[in-house]
This record gives sequence, structure tokens and C-alpha cells, in this order.
Amino acid sequence: MATEKTDVVIIGVGAAGGILAAELGKAGMKVIGLERGPRLTTQDFNPHDELRYFQRQDLRPNIKRQPVTWRPNANARAVPLPVLNNGNQAGGGTVHYGAVSWRFHEDDFRARSQTIERYGASAMPADSSLADWPLSYTDLEPHYDRAEYELGVSGKAGNLQGRKIDGGNVFEAPRRRDYPLPPLLQDQAEMLFGDAGRKLGYHPFSTPRAIISQPYRGRTACTYCGFCQAFGCHVGAKSSILVTKLPEADASGNFKLITGATCHRINSDNSGKVTGVAYYGPDGSDNTIEADIVIVTTFIYDNTRLLLLSKTDKFPNGLANSSGQLGKHVMAHMMANVFVGYDDRHLNVYMGPSAQKHTLDDLNADNFDHKDVGFIRGSQISIGTGNLQGGPIALTTVATPPGVPRWGEKYRDFLAQYFARHAVMVAQTENLPYADQTIDLDPDVRDAWGLPAPRVTYDWRRPNERARVEFMQKKMEEIGRAMGAHQVWRAPVSPAGAPGAHHEGGTRMGNDPKTSVVNKYGQSWDVPNLFVIGSSTFPSMSGFNPTLTIQALAYMSADAIANRYKKNPGALL
Amino acid sequence: MKKHDETRRAFLIGTAAGAVTGAGITSHALAQTQRETADAPTTTAQAHGHGGHGAFLNNEDAATVTAFAERLMPGAPGKPGARDAGVLNYIDLALAGAYSDLQDFYRRGLASLEAYCRKTHDASFVKLGPAKQDEVIAALEQGKDTGFTWPSAQAFFNTVRTHTMEGMFADPIYGGNKNFAGWRLIGFPGAQPLFSPADLDSKDAFTGAPIIGLQAQAQARRS
Repeated sequence: MATEKTDVVIIGVGAAGGILAAELGKAGMKVIGLERGPRLTTQDFNPHDELRYFQRQDLRPNIKRQPVTWRPNANARAVPLPVLNNGNQAGGGTVHYGAVSWRFHEDDFRARSQTIERYGASAMPADSSLADWPLSYTDLEPHYDRAEYELGVSGKAGNLQGRKIDGGNVFEAPRRRDYPLPPLLQDQAEMLFGDAGRKLGYHPFSTPRAIISQPYRGRTACTYCGFCQAFGCHVGAKSSILVTKLPEADASGNFKLITGATCHRINSDNSGKVTGVAYYGPDGSDNTIEADIVIVTTFIYDNTRLLLLSKTDKFPNGLANSSGQLGKHVMAHMMANVFVGYDDRHLNVYMGPSAQKHTLDDLNADNFDHKDVGFIRGSQISIGTGNLQGGPIALTTVATPPGVPRWGEKYRDFLAQYFARHAVMVAQTENLPYADQTIDLDPDVRDAWGLPAPRVTYDWRRPNERARVEFMQKKMEEIGRAMGAHQVWRAPVSPAGAPGAHHEGGTRMGNDPKTSVVNKYGQSWDVPNLFVIGSSTFPSMSGFNPTLTIQALAYMSADAIANRYKKNPGALL
Repeated sequence: MKKHDETRRAFLIGTAAGAVTGAGITSHALAQTQRETADAPTTTAQAHGHGGHGAFLNNEDAATVTAFAERLMPGAPGKPGARDAGVLNYIDLALAGAYSDLQDFYRRGLASLEAYCRKTHDASFVKLGPAKQDEVIAALEQGKDTGFTWPSAQAFFNTVRTHTMEGMFADPIYGGNKNFAGWRLIGFPGAQPLFSPADLDSKDAFTGAPIIGLQAQAQARRS
């Protein structure tokens, strides 16, 4: 059992934790990062092995050792989720993600006000806890800019200081300057999707991705190998935390990473402050770190779980939970799929970065009139691969066209005909927060360390969400026909209600300590030297992938801690 | 290939090589050697024992798995199926290794399958004709009353289906997808380290390089 002292301890060194480690280290603070998994290198990612990385999820948590359970409602028995989408190593999810890197829209930060102003209070689904963010797009813009340039994001501006630019996303919020790198090359599916989208009056464009299209800051450009989502990048072209911020943290001389470390408790005293953390080492030892600041930057499951596990007599409902909001308002994107298959040409969709390659934003956020559609908020619609990965095993996990069974001669012929002649559209829907969508501690299931598993209670099948999915699938079928596909078919969307990708919520940020867990800096209202930073703080989720916003928030919090909190510890607001 | 594309390919390969300094082998060299060694006869995981099993499954169970997998992914002239791809070898090795926690799942599932076939058709699964075998498999898939307890009929079907697809399409280093049979069936070129702008621009099947597997990658790294 070891005890060490440091200025800052960061639990989980992924999208947010890696940025905080580098920035606080550079600001002269001594930082220890705790990481549950290993620290891998680009050299580890040479085997292009779909079985290992996609199918057996080698870069993600082992579901037997680190189970997360799910139930659709409080009356159902929770069962372990079969697939976890978060990362399990230094760099976190940025190692294996598809690297789609969005700035949220201006109205994503004020979805509740926007809805009421445009459609009236009656348009709000009565049971939703949709809330505005305690910050605006303008507040976050400098940090988005910094993230795009420091990490390396490829794309084309669609709104340069208010000037709309064809070929970029004309629905994006104004940006001060263009992306640091030009868009990635297009594949066949993108060209067909782009042509069809324009024909139908939409504004399609190459999805911005944290994958470098040209050499950048000493790193090599993407080689379009296609082993992308679910894989680590074999040339380091994916701008993961491993190849961007961790080297900066190392160079600061103030950062120490402890791998194989499972944090099981945040320690606090009777003065109402946290004093550090306790963690299990890879040898099973129980160790302590004393720290002036504790920053929680794990995936949303453990952000909530860790605060619940850290309850004391002073904090009987868990740390940072005087509001009673801890673990509530959980959200997840649902991925509605429509497939296109061609008989007369190849698409070879296994080439190139595999996730959400080309996008149209016309039906996202409040970018279109929702007056008569029966739901609020929208969906990003993109073209790419089934299950976001283009290999053959991935194709065997997705839905077949009507009349094609999942096995036998017809199935064999379907795979032979369409593997290299299909593409997949995905509508990534902005599901609303609801107070009864929660994370708590599973009373029955424990992980390999004997800790209660995080339990997710979540069911996407609400009237607003169902109407949106149906609407988007019809739109995607129209696009598929406009693409000239010979076969267009849809897949059922999570029929039992289980959450999809990109989880948000559980430690909601807000302006009011009574209705939120943290302020806009991720600082606990109750415990000023405790920060929680990540998508768990999102009050609403947007139809866009969350990672760049997580990273912008991390930069903003790092600035506030280094420039203000360090000199004058206490509440930042 | 257009001149512009040639330049782009050279550029891409060049930039790939530039970044992996100090790594023993550059992406450029790796890509080249992979493409060269892939022309040589490919080494796949050897079928062990006789008939592609011996690590876990006994002879009877191996015969049942072989017949079951072949109905899920049947072979035909010019269309390799589960037997051609060595799916049995893949499953046998997996059950002795990565999926050893499923040994009892398979034992009990196969016993339930056998009991159901004897009760319904008075014959072993392997002795049934293809049409009858398909009937049995469909009954499992649909969760009909087949007498399974644990695993359930649907869980057993889904697992064997998943493993059959893995044996068809996972890299040959795992013992299936023999001589890239699965990848040849569907037109997947394997673990290519890069695609050029011309490759991305093409409406045709990719023929720019032979199929590459992990064995070739590893050989390239050693050499």
C-alpha cells in the first residue's frame, strides 16, 4: 500500500483527462493520472485484425471484469450490456473512436429556450428534463478552436465569421477560422450520398474528423486503410490523446501516469473538501493519493459510480449530490440505419476512415421547421459502414434486406453480392434527457474488484424519440432511392430500448446548485476542489458526436483552474 | 490510373514513411514488403489433428459442428462455404483458447441438439438431409419448443452463427478463412495498409494488391 502526494489527481486519462493532464502540467502543477487500462503506442496497432479489435473489443472494457448493467425501467431486472463503447486504456475512447469532431450548434446550448421560443411551451414533451446549458457557443468557441488546432481536425468551414461557404456545413455556428487541415478524401459512397443529397436540396459535406489529411505537427497523414473505428491507428494519423496530449503532458515534467489503477473511492474530510483518492493497483494493492484537487474524467458510468461509492456521513447520498441530481438525466444517441446496395458497381466502403464519412446537417438540431413533425430536435445523417466499421465480420452483425435470412445459401449470396457494393446511412438522433433515465449502483452485479457495477436505467422508446426515428428513416430511404441504389432497406432500432452510442448525463452542469451537480467548469457546487469533466455534464446531447465538445470543455476548465483556481482556490462562480 | 493519382499514392506512401521514425520499419517499407510477401504462398494456421479439430471438440461433436456450420454458410462450386474455410478448425481452437468459457455451453447445446433430432427425426443431426437440417436450425433460431434449457435454443443458434461467421471472415491466423476463402467469396482484400486516391475513386473491385493477412504482416515486420 503506497501513499503519495500531488497537486492534482486525474481519474481517467482520456478525451478530457489527457487535455487536463497536459495543460495543468504545463501550468506548473504536479499531476498524477490514474488509468484503469494500459498505455499502448502506435506500434501496438499494427495488426489490422477485425476479430480482435471489432468483434472481441480488445480496446474496450472486458464486460466480464467490468460489467455495466442495463434495464429499460425500474421494474425490470438489469442485465449486463453485451458491448461497451468506452475506451479502456490511456487515451480512452479517442484511441478507438471514429474521430468525428463537431462543434455543437448555437441552439444545442439552449435547446429548451429555442424550442419554447419557436414552437411554444406545449411543444416540450411533458416528461422531458431538457435544459439549457449554463454557457453559450460563444463562450466555448475559443476552446473549440484550440482543440481543433492542437489536436488536428480535418474539414472545411461552412460558416466563417458569419459568411456561409458551400461545401462546408452551412448550418454550423460561426467559426473564427477554417479547420487546420483540409477535408479527408471522399470514397464512392460519399460521392453518391453527396450527389443525392444536393439533388434533394440538402447540403452534404465531408464530416470533420480528428484524422489528419496531411502531415501535421510531426505526425503522418491518414493512409485510408479503413481499420479505424474500433481500432488504434497504425500510423498515428488519428488525433488520439495518445499521440497529441500525452506527449505534451510527459514533456511538462510534472505528469505521472499510473496504469492498471482502478480508483474506487474519492476521499473527503469533514470540512467538506476532497483530500485525494484510493485506488487498487494491478497487484490488488489498495493505495492512496493525497491531492489538493481531484478531477473525475472517466466515461459517464464511472463518473456517477465513483461519486456514489464515495459517500460519507457528511455526504450520505454520494459526493457532490446535495441536489439529488447525481446519476439522472442520462442520454444516448440511437443509431437508425438504412442500407443501400448496388448491383452494377462497387462502393468498397471498407476503404477510408470508417465512421460517418459524409454528413448532412439539414435535419439536425433546430435546422428545420418542426412545427408539424410531432417531435423536437433532430438528427445528424451520415453515410458510412455498418456498425461504423467496414470489415466483413461487421457486415455479418447488421440487418439483412427483407426476404434475406441471416444464414444459408441466400445469406451467403447476399454477402458475396453486397459486401463491396453497399453502404450504410445512419441517423444519429438527439434523444432528450429524462429524469428517470439514470445510473446507479447495481445491487446484485459486482465487478472484478468487488465493486457494485454501474446500472443504467434507460428506454429510448418514448413518443418524441419514436416519431423522430421514423421520420429520419423515411428521409434516409428517400436519399437511398435518390442515390440510385438497387436495394434500400432499414434496420430495426434497438427494439428492447437499450441505449446506443455516446452516453451523456449523470453529473449535469447548470446555473443552479439546487438543480445541477456541477457548474460550467465542471466544478462541484458542494465540493469546490472536486471537478467532473466529460459528457456526463452535458444538460442535452445534440445530434452530434460529443468528443470535441468534451475536449473544448476540458480546455476551458484547464484554463480556469490554472489561471484562477490555482491562485485563489474556491468556487469559480 | 491517372498521373495525379500516381503522384498522390507516392505522396501518401512517402508521408506515411516519414512519421514512423525509429520504429524499426517504416509504413512505406511495411506496405511494400506486405504486398510482396503476400504474393508468396500464404501461411495460415495449420489445421491440427485430422479433419480440423482435436484441441477441444470430440469426433462426434466436431462432425455436428461441421454439418451445422455448413448449413449456415453452405459451399457451392465457386462459392466457398464453412467446410472450405475451415470453420470447424476456427471454432475448435477458439473453444480451447479465447472462448474456453463457452466449453460447457457448446457441450450442452450440442447434446440438446442431438436429443431434439433423435426425438423429432429419430436420427442424429449429421445423418439428416440438408432440408431437414435447415428445419432443425430454423426451429432453434425461432425459439420453438426444442427441449433446450441452458443454453436456450436461440442462444445456441446465435452463438454458433456468430462463430461460423468469425471462422469464415476472421484472419486465417485464427484457424478459419483458409486460404482467404471467406474474403475471396465476398471480395475483401484483407489488411491493406493503405488505399490510394485512385482506389477510392474506383467503381470497380479492388485489384491493386493481393489479399494480405496478419501472417504476411508479421513476416514483413520480422524481415
